[in-house]
Amino acid sequence: MGGHRARWIGIAVLVVAAGLIAVLAGRPSASVAEVQSPLLGHPAPAIAGTTLDGAGYSVPTAPGHFVVLNFFASWCAPCQQEGPDLVTFQFEHQLPGDASMVSVVFGDTLSAAQTYQKTLGATWPTLTDGNGKLALAYGVTARPTTFVIAPDGRVAAYIVGAVTAKDLDKVIAAAKATHA
Amino acid sequence: MSRQSGRFRFPLWIVLGAVLVAALVIGSGVLNSTPMTPAQRAAGIETRIKCPSCEDLSVANSSAQTAVVVRSTVRQLISEGRSDQQIEAYLVSRYGSAIVLVPPTSGWSLLVWLLPLGGGALAIALLTVVLIRKRRNGIVGPADAARAEAEFDVGASSGQLDARRQFLEQSLADAFAEHRAGDLSDQDYQALRRRDTARLAALDIRMVEADDLAGAGSVATVATVATVATVATVATVATVARAESDGGAEPVESAVAPPGSVPGPSRSRRQRFLMTGAVVSFGAALVVVVALFAANRLPGQTPSGNPTLSQQAQIQQSLNQAATLENEGQPGAAAQLYQQVLGQDPQNEVAIAQLGWLEYQTGSQGKSASLIADARAKLDQAVKLNPTDYAARLYLGTVLLDQDHDASAAVAQYQAFLAANPPASLLQQAASLLRQAYTQAGMPVPPAVPTA
Amino acid sequence: MNAAFGDTGVLLGFAAAVVGVIVLAVGLVKGRESTIRAGQIYAPVVLLGGVIAAVAMEHALITHDFSLAFVADNNSRETPLMYSVCGLWSALSGSILLWGLILAGYATAMVWRFRRRAAEPLVAWATMVVYVVAAFFFGLMLHVTNPFQHVAGKIPVDGAGPNSLLQDNPLQAIHPPLLYLGFVGFTLPFAFAIGSLVTGRLDSSWQRETRRWTLFAWTFLTAGIVLGALWSYQVLGWGGFWAWDPVENASFLPWLVGTAYLHSVMVQERRGLLRIWNLALVISAFSLTILGTFLTRSGVIQSVHAFSNSTIGPLLLGFFGLTLVTGLGLIAWRGDNLRSAGGIDSPVSREGAFLANNLLFVAFAFVVLLGTVFPLLYEALNGGRQITVGAPYFNRLVIPIALGLLFLMAVAPALPWRKTSVEVMRGRLAVPAVLAVLVVVACVVGGIRGIEPLAAFGLGAFAAASAGRALALSVRLSWRGARLSGASSSRSVLAGWRGFVGRANGGMVVHIGVVIIAVGLAAATAFGHRTEVALSPGQTASFSGHSIQFVGTRSVRTPSRSAFEAVLRVDGRGDYLPAITQFGAGSQDVGTPAIDASWRDDVYLTIDATATSGSRLTFGVVVQPLVMWLWVGGALLVFGSVLSAVPGRRRRPTDPVSAVADSSVHEPGSTPAPSVAVEVGVGVGVGAGVGGAGDAGQEPSPDPEPVQVGN
Repeated sequence: MGGHRARWIGIAVLVVAAGLIAVLAGRPSASVAEVQSPLLGHPAPAIAGTTLDGAGYSVPTAPGHFVVLNFFASWCAPCQQEGPDLVTFQFEHQLPGDASMVSVVFGDTLSAAQTYQKTLGATWPTLTDGNGKLALAYGVTARPTTFVIAPDGRVAAYIVGAVTAKDLDKVIAAAKATHA
Repeated sequence: MSRQSGRFRFPLWIVLGAVLVAALVIGSGVLNSTPMTPAQRAAGIETRIKCPSCEDLSVANSSAQTAVVVRSTVRQLISEGRSDQQIEAYLVSRYGSAIVLVPPTSGWSLLVWLLPLGGGALAIALLTVVLIRKRRNGIVGPADAARAEAEFDVGASSGQLDARRQFLEQSLADAFAEHRAGDLSDQDYQALRRRDTARLAALDIRMVEADDLAGAGSVATVATVATVATVATVATVATVARAESDGGAEPVESAVAPPGSVPGPSRSRRQRFLMTGAVVSFGAALVVVVALFAANRLPGQTPSGNPTLSQQAQIQQSLNQAATLENEGQPGAAAQLYQQVLGQDPQNEVAIAQLGWLEYQTGSQGKSASLIADARAKLDQAVKLNPTDYAARLYLGTVLLDQDHDASAAVAQYQAFLAANPPASLLQQAASLLRQAYTQAGMPVPPAVPTA
Repeated sequence: MNAAFGDTGVLLGFAAAVVGVIVLAVGLVKGRESTIRAGQIYAPVVLLGGVIAAVAMEHALITHDFSLAFVADNNSRETPLMYSVCGLWSALSGSILLWGLILAGYATAMVWRFRRRAAEPLVAWATMVVYVVAAFFFGLMLHVTNPFQHVAGKIPVDGAGPNSLLQDNPLQAIHPPLLYLGFVGFTLPFAFAIGSLVTGRLDSSWQRETRRWTLFAWTFLTAGIVLGALWSYQVLGWGGFWAWDPVENASFLPWLVGTAYLHSVMVQERRGLLRIWNLALVISAFSLTILGTFLTRSGVIQSVHAFSNSTIGPLLLGFFGLTLVTGLGLIAWRGDNLRSAGGIDSPVSREGAFLANNLLFVAFAFVVLLGTVFPLLYEALNGGRQITVGAPYFNRLVIPIALGLLFLMAVAPALPWRKTSVEVMRGRLAVPAVLAVLVVVACVVGGIRGIEPLAAFGLGAFAAASAGRALALSVRLSWRGARLSGASSSRSVLAGWRGFVGRANGGMVVHIGVVIIAVGLAAATAFGHRTEVALSPGQTASFSGHSIQFVGTRSVRTPSRSAFEAVLRVDGRGDYLPAITQFGAGSQDVGTPAIDASWRDDVYLTIDATATSGSRLTFGVVVQPLVMWLWVGGALLVFGSVLSAVPGRRRRPTDPVSAVADSSVHEPGSTPAPSVAVEVGVGVGVGAGVGGAGDAGQEPSPDPEPVQVGN
């Protein structure tokens, strides 16, 4: 193989490698990467099902207030971490009535979920989603996942991982501002 | 060995090739292709969708809950008549574009297809060009070789010239040994020998010139070097030639081609060209076909099957299905399943009781006396078959209460019902009926009965 | 205590490596031989540092010393002894420690092996490069990923224990160390490549001398990859063994390039060609091990294997860039001198086949690398949108390349050097070709449908028959050689074992192993069936030719694991125990599969779901044919490699493929012309007798001795 050809190929490889390194160096580590949901800004899929107590429950398409939809399991550590925050959030918004909470069991036994919610002191409806259709409709891949649905029924926010009451308040304030 | 049998073997290779092509065509399944069943379509789609809560697995391979849901959704959408693209688009609209395991062929992600395939196509094209050129030129004649060598050595340092000389000498010796061992044909060997000898000669001239330029100066030195170089080259060539004649190898130029050897040059070249062309196009076709169909399953290759359950398990499955149908408000379909179970197992008590109850409900709605009578008979039979079945007791008691207005008989059944440990939900539902019966019979309501 | 020893060890290793670099640099610059020789001593010192650190960490793991953060995170009181010991490589900083230890071991072995040539600039530069790499890895351990870091806060009473998936299987004990022995082993040929480029000693003697080292590293890498697939199969519960996971790909890339190198280096030894290819392949192999480490450890790509991420990413990436720039830059600088003295005479020759081999392997590696990093590229180009490049992409692109490699594997052993004709090839490959067509016809008649498994079976048969032919010829040659040198007939039959050892013959055994793996892969992926079946205790289901009976369940509880097991009988044989297991206290459940393996197929059982009420369980059943062939083929691969390292018959490297070992042996590269006459008289008789006997193994011998053949 000629020396000249080798030189050009070597330079080409170096250029490509430099590009590759630049891209790889710029990537944040996967665990903190932001994920997007294709549902953002679109009408939220219908929320309907049976609660842990056996009653039916559904949310109207344009609820008229913010709805925080939270997918959880009792055994997942970040879910346990965010639980108290969800209780706080629900309590704070109960009186003004501008936001309500709905939880959905994702990958857990119903008895464990029931015990967990009772221990937490959660008074809001928790849907069973036995056949997993609600999780699929919302494209949930991991727990905890939280959706914030605006009063007009569109998905305003999508958060994967433990969420705090402050985060939720910020999201709601931002959504109110853009629609005000 | 091969020269003689070259012609002999020619039909063998044609036969082999034909058999292989035929076998592959049959084996690829294109001849008896039936349209894809829904299960096969589902399986195909499932291998392309990533399990949402896993890292690399497809939903076909994973048993995670999210994968199970996606699989059932895919099957449902197929039964609704959606196309593959529509189903994928639906899943992408939920989970995002990362849910599909195959990068799309549009936008930037076209790169990931284009780079390997384009690079491969380019490489094959280049190789073909190089191959054709080499084939056409064959081994260059001595005059061309000498000229090419002179060009090759322009600007080379003395170290590089030495390396080149060593290489050419080694090449000559190697060619001799390879020819002797039968690796190299006579024709090729002669051509190579002539070429490399010419190259060596041209190289020596170049080396002398280089020494000259380097200031070796004196004519004597030049003459000595030239003589030594020429003598060495001649010695090499002569030794090789002598060795050949000593070793009894075939004469250098055989004017008469041995009988049975490959026929005239033009015809053999055409033959060779055809054969090479056939082999190459076959290879290319194979590669393309494999690449296209690599991901597909053929009809007949079911990726997942249905297990055959033992009859016991089948019956259990049918009963469960029927119960679900009842809960979903499809009594007709449920009744059909119960009939099916009874066809297989006429003494199945659960089926008898449930069917009896369904019949009673239908009969009392439509006021069909025969149906009601039949239902009663069934419920009687059920209770007889299994006195501890709470459902049968409840049904029978209710029928007795409603039809015969016989509260005490009903209570007898209800007592048996309570004794059989019925589940709380059923108890709840039946509470008012129980109360009614006990009150009508004038007996105290048992504490087990929940308050309304 | 452990931390003190450990830190000392790491510091010692780092310091020794750095000082070694300095000493060698000074010696090389000043040209002082004594200084260069003095640089040798630092390799054992680095090894000593590594050993102290490793022993300290193992001691900490075995005695459950939770004052170390590493032990607290990866070990617990209930962890059994074996998994405690293996805990060394179960997380990031421990695996860097293992890497450093192995590298120090290789460095010491290298220094010992080349001790007599220590003053040569080539060896000195190579040693220096190894020291630089060692300094990098030990340096990582000093601060960025310190295994001996103290736990933050209070010392916990009990540790978190290893990841559940890592406690499931004893293969955990061998897979990572084998893989590392492979990865790290590629440092040596890389160091010599750099040394030869820097010093300008561009002949192939260093390649010959490091051939056994490279083969050693390659063997371990192969074993590591095959065992990794076996581990994944036995543990992960999905019934497959290769998911094109980024970490799997990261270990596969150096293997591909290393295999190409092992083949291509033969062309350089024989005819001095493809020099730039070989240098580029060796440098790429090492760079890919660093890139692979980056992809695995930095957390840039999430995968089944993902370890915790830390700031190690940019450092590894930087080191990768450095090795690439250094290597390619040196090649560019030496470009003119690297120009081969000649060219390939004909594409239809063994040189041509090896060049095609290089191209195919590089294409293979390119596809795997592109597929692995493309999601990151795409995200960078497309601002947040993500795509996945998964198995369908890799399979579609890689299968044609793999089939091409099978074809080359079939044709190349019969190809002579330099140039051949269709007649010669037809004669040699007739029997293998007929065999291959027969196999395809038999498969089609037997009902096997599908172009890709049929192509794999046909080409596999072709390659196996060609390799078998080469081995048969080599054994026959050994018999003749033994008989001609006067051995009795029974002795000479036994001497046939020599037909199996040596570079080329071992290579044929390796090829047969590869064919077995290819056939097993094709069968398992094309004809595997999976399903889910819900059973109550006592029920039986039948699927894909097997009957599965659910006998009952039981619970197992030991201090280290508690499991809910289902007892199943397959075809009346029992008991197979798929389970849902929890390791230690309060960790997540993992599904443990049970496998009924046989030569024909594997029945793979898992518990997929428990019923909400009652005792019905849902089982996952996967039936895949010929899975066991994968593991057998892998074992044969490694065995063939070992055979390859055993010295075979002494031959000149430039002997033609078909020649008998009858010539007096010379130093390769010297002018043999005057002695051709001598050879002829002796060799012709035997040559005529054996003539066309075909390929026999041949390899360079370090101590050539003439083999006299009676005539």
